[in-house]
Amino acid sequence: MLLTPRRTRRLRRLLLFVASVSFFVVFVTPRARVHGARSGAIRGRVDLRKVPAPVEPRPNVADLGAAVRALDISDRLRSVVYLESAPRGAFESVEPMRAVMDQRGERFVPHVLAITTGTTVDFPNSDHIYHNVFSLSKTKSFDLGRYAAGHSMPVRFDRPGIVRVFCDIHSHMNAFILVFGHPFFSMTDDEGRFRIDNVPPGTYNLIAWNEGVQSQPRAVTIPDGGIAEEDFVLR
Amino acid sequence: MTYGLRLAALIAVVALLGTATARAQVLPSEPVALAGGRITIGGDVSASIGADDAGFFNYTDYDHAALRVLTVDLTTSITPNPHIAVLGEIRDELALLSLPGDENRNTVRVYALYVRIRPWIDRAIDIQAGRVPPTFGSFARRVYANDNPLIGYPLAYQYLTSLRPDALPWNADELLRMRGRGWLSSYSIGNQEAEAGVPLVSAFRWDTGVQLHAASAIVDGTVAVTTGTVSNPRLTDDNSAPQVAARVSAHPIPGLVLGVSGARGPFVSSTAARGAVGDGHDRSFTQTAWGGDVEYSRGYYLLRAETIWSQWKIPALGAPVVDRPLTAMSTYVEGRYKLRPGLYVAGRFDHLGFSDVVGSDGPQTWDAPVTRVEVGAGYSLQRNLLLKFSCQRNTRDGGRVTNSTLAAAQLVYWF
Repeated sequence: MLLTPRRTRRLRRLLLFVASVSFFVVFVTPRARVHGARSGAIRGRVDLRKVPAPVEPRPNVADLGAAVRALDISDRLRSVVYLESAPRGAFESVEPMRAVMDQRGERFVPHVLAITTGTTVDFPNSDHIYHNVFSLSKTKSFDLGRYAAGHSMPVRFDRPGIVRVFCDIHSHMNAFILVFGHPFFSMTDDEGRFRIDNVPPGTYNLIAWNEGVQSQPRAVTIPDGGIAEEDFVLR
Repeated sequence: MTYGLRLAALIAVVALLGTATARAQVLPSEPVALAGGRITIGGDVSASIGADDAGFFNYTDYDHAALRVLTVDLTTSITPNPHIAVLGEIRDELALLSLPGDENRNTVRVYALYVRIRPWIDRAIDIQAGRVPPTFGSFARRVYANDNPLIGYPLAYQYLTSLRPDALPWNADELLRMRGRGWLSSYSIGNQEAEAGVPLVSAFRWDTGVQLHAASAIVDGTVAVTTGTVSNPRLTDDNSAPQVAARVSAHPIPGLVLGVSGARGPFVSSTAARGAVGDGHDRSFTQTAWGGDVEYSRGYYLLRAETIWSQWKIPALGAPVVDRPLTAMSTYVEGRYKLRPGLYVAGRFDHLGFSDVVGSDGPQTWDAPVTRVEVGAGYSLQRNLLLKFSCQRNTRDGGRVTNSTLAAAQLVYWF
């Protein structure tokens, strides 16, 4: 084939294009793959050696009668598993969230709530009696006063930490709100299983928590696009 | 107990609670549960330190002033099955800051001990027998320091009138000589030793008997038959007939409680009645009491008001005779407002008045009327550790001290 000057220029352009694509494929693409690495997950199980007992009402010696209540401990079997610190940039875009902690049957439902900072929690009263939700925790102190059934009051949680919630009228009512500065946490299910999704590959410290008791931080490595397994035993 | 031991006890309590304050949540905050929750133990500890109450305005008996006392309560509930519970309370009161050499009778006593029977699990009907909670009124069942927004108590439940169940005045003059001296009164009939008188309704002792309580969504009703009277609850009967007391309360909307109470029973002991008019008349000398109370709460405020009217019949003996029943009426209004989480302010206005009797110098109230205004504040150092301050102004139309301004602080811990 005769290489005319015109064909030579075309060939040169073609070679330049191929070289550019090759360079991109060989050198640029792998770096891009690192930045956009497929996130992984952590899953496992939290076993409780001892089931935390529900808080009993104080002996109601001064009452003229008694109310028989059925205590439900299922909520107390729920644990929270979370990363001690979040991957850099993992929490750049946060949508304001809402959550609900109901007051029902002289209990807070759920007994444990795990939320991200900026979340607003609504505290509806579903009982036919007054409740008075309050907390004196350093993370967030608040007192919602007394309000009747059908009413709800919101509280926004802006700082990470653990908030203990009580009722000023019924001393046996209590709950926990765990506020995280990142989204890498999970509540266990009825059988103690948990799964934290969308975790960027890397090595992190993982902690399990139940009713004020927490495990030692445990190093966990998340493979690219893979799943790390980790089990805990608490109490 | 010696002065040194009392002081050591005070320092120990302050140190314990102070340390706990510094290390929040160190002390247990929930009742102790044993045997899978069938046994629960709770407790209240309160230490009150206040000015010297030379006028005996706040004394609950001759030895203990409400503003200077360490009170330790242990309560327990044993519930072998849903039908039966045994409830008890042991209380120890120790006078604080009394001077070296002062007599201080340390009183550890069984405040409550009774069995509660619920025949039908799904019906709110309870039978209680033993040393049972007060049926009458509203305050006596929330006398615990963490339920009382202030440090002082309502006059009707605490202030010692000059009347005694075991001693009687010979005539109106003898009665009038004891005006304003209820903390240590003495009469010539019956027990002639000087002893403390009784309040309109005692909040510091519980009566012994049987109580029936039934509740619906809106109305509660209680009726009780007990050995003593509302002003003189007793472990054993000291006359020939029991007291009957009843209370009905309604809560038509959340936050509103309306209550009425009534009680009637022989007040004067058989011994005193026999000394005055011979055998067989002790049923005639009764205490009759009526009460009305209201409570309303909403948001950050709580309002309460209660009125109690009491009438005692005592024998008419020498001239000038006490020719009519002795009556007293007390009314208080109290309120509490939460300023911020853990901090509240409170106040109470309280008045106690008495009917007239005619003595040699003409008509006069049979005891000295008292008015008390108390204001205070409370701050929760932690959920179950409360620090209270209050200041009260007492005025009395008679007695050795006719007015007194008292300040006090109180630390309360409960679990």
